[in-house]
Amino acid sequence: MLLPHAQTLAQARSSVAALADCALTLDASSAYERVLLELDRVHGDECPSLDTEDLTDDRAILLAWASSAIQELEDYGIDALSVELLLAMLADAHDLDIG
Amino acid sequence: MYGENGAQMRTELAALLRQHRVMRRLAEASSADRAAAGQQILRFRQTVLIWCAQAIGVARPLTFPNVPPKPADPFRAASDHGAAVAELARTLETARDQATTQPASSQEFTTPSTNSVVERWRLAARAAALAEHDTAPDRAIHLTAAQARTIAGDVAAISQALVVLDRRYRNTPDWESIAGCDRLGWAALATALDVSLGQPDYSVDQTGWRPRTKPIGGSAKPGVLGVLQAEHNLLVRLASFPDAMNLRLVVDSQRLLSAGLVPYAQRIDPDLAGQWGARAETYSRIQRELRNIGGRLGNGTAAAGEAANAVSRLKALRPDTVIEPRMLGGFQTLFRLVDARIADILESGVERGAFVQRVTVPRLVSGDGRLVHPVRERFVPVARATDLEVIRTAREHLRPPEEPTVTPAGTSRADLHAALVHRPPAKEPRCDTPRL
Repeated sequence: MLLPHAQTLAQARSSVAALADCALTLDASSAYERVLLELDRVHGDECPSLDTEDLTDDRAILLAWASSAIQELEDYGIDALSVELLLAMLADAHDLDIG
Repeated sequence: MYGENGAQMRTELAALLRQHRVMRRLAEASSADRAAAGQQILRFRQTVLIWCAQAIGVARPLTFPNVPPKPADPFRAASDHGAAVAELARTLETARDQATTQPASSQEFTTPSTNSVVERWRLAARAAALAEHDTAPDRAIHLTAAQARTIAGDVAAISQALVVLDRRYRNTPDWESIAGCDRLGWAALATALDVSLGQPDYSVDQTGWRPRTKPIGGSAKPGVLGVLQAEHNLLVRLASFPDAMNLRLVVDSQRLLSAGLVPYAQRIDPDLAGQWGARAETYSRIQRELRNIGGRLGNGTAAAGEAANAVSRLKALRPDTVIEPRMLGGFQTLFRLVDARIADILESGVERGAFVQRVTVPRLVSGDGRLVHPVRERFVPVARATDLEVIRTAREHLRPPEEPTVTPAGTSRADLHAALVHRPPAKEPRCDTPRL
């Protein structure tokens, strides 16, 4: 894994983890957690650690960051279908979160 | 388990020791009936004797005589004078080998008798036969010296009981006395004295054979039972070590399960609901802390599958379902075991390097255009387990507190010792007898 890929992945993971922490219900938090697990699974658990600095509390911004970072992963050789599935899981989790 | 089988043997023998006037109890009618009952008792006694000989043989290499060693004499063959355990083992083997009675068959063990005396002998012999599993030589390699001493003490007490009972049953028709009965009694007494010089270690009761816990197979049980089934299966599947990702799935499921069961428990037992709420909080915390833990050793897919089953079955429950207190207790028991197992997995995983920590290593990058230097990530093995937050959380919050178990280890032993020395109650003087 090259450095830009690692940075993008770290951003995606950190945003999704922050979303899971801010989620209003336990089910939504668990759904975000599944997105995080799927991200790790796609990368064979070779992932950088979370970077909690400079993260906002605004869930809309976090969601935008997470989506864009996941979309960017496609440029680093991640399967397009996996990226789409991740985005769909993220959207589902967000739907659960906002009720 | 040795504790259960040993305790049953002692309980039955203590009850037999408290029975006097045995002839009347054996059979009221004829001496032929008494002889038949006596032969059956002899077979049961032979089974107990066989266990005694086997157990003392297992304990003997680990027990050391308290006699100070003599200076070695090169002109004499080595002999361990004063080793009471060796003498007890020898007399027990003699008694076992010289008996002409065959031990009881497994059919006899499982057929209850209407006679109370024979029934007690049957239970004692059945426990002895089961205890042969517990003190089998392949299991005995795990014994410590103190545990072996405790077994030797138990065998000594049981041998004493057999000697006393042998005397009492002497008038039974066709009775066969134990070969070397007197010698056995004295050897047992010497062993008991020798063993009592050291501190007994009753943890031996926890050793021995146990039935294997199996997953509950078949289709999903309806309602709450299905959730219990999946949680039980999860506990069984967790016996194999899960990798980090599957562990995270299991932790997530436990969080959802605890939180989901809180409303059901609230109606029956608010205290329990509070505990489960706290458990869900703890698992949320562990889930957060596990995000920075990786590791690909292990498997755990079966455990993750059962965990998902438990959550999906819980979600399928109707909200007005009433969960009986018995089932809540079942959940609580399973939760405690799962918590302890997950805490064990975390600790041992970190200890043996199966789990590694993702860390941020500062690295200078030029031409990035950002003020904050980006970081490059690497895995590092964890140097000390307590450095990890998740281990601290698991130790402080997750691991269930040790239950103050009242160990009844000494009760049955003390009871047998009391029965060995008890005297029958004095007879009431009859009013109509003339007195001087």
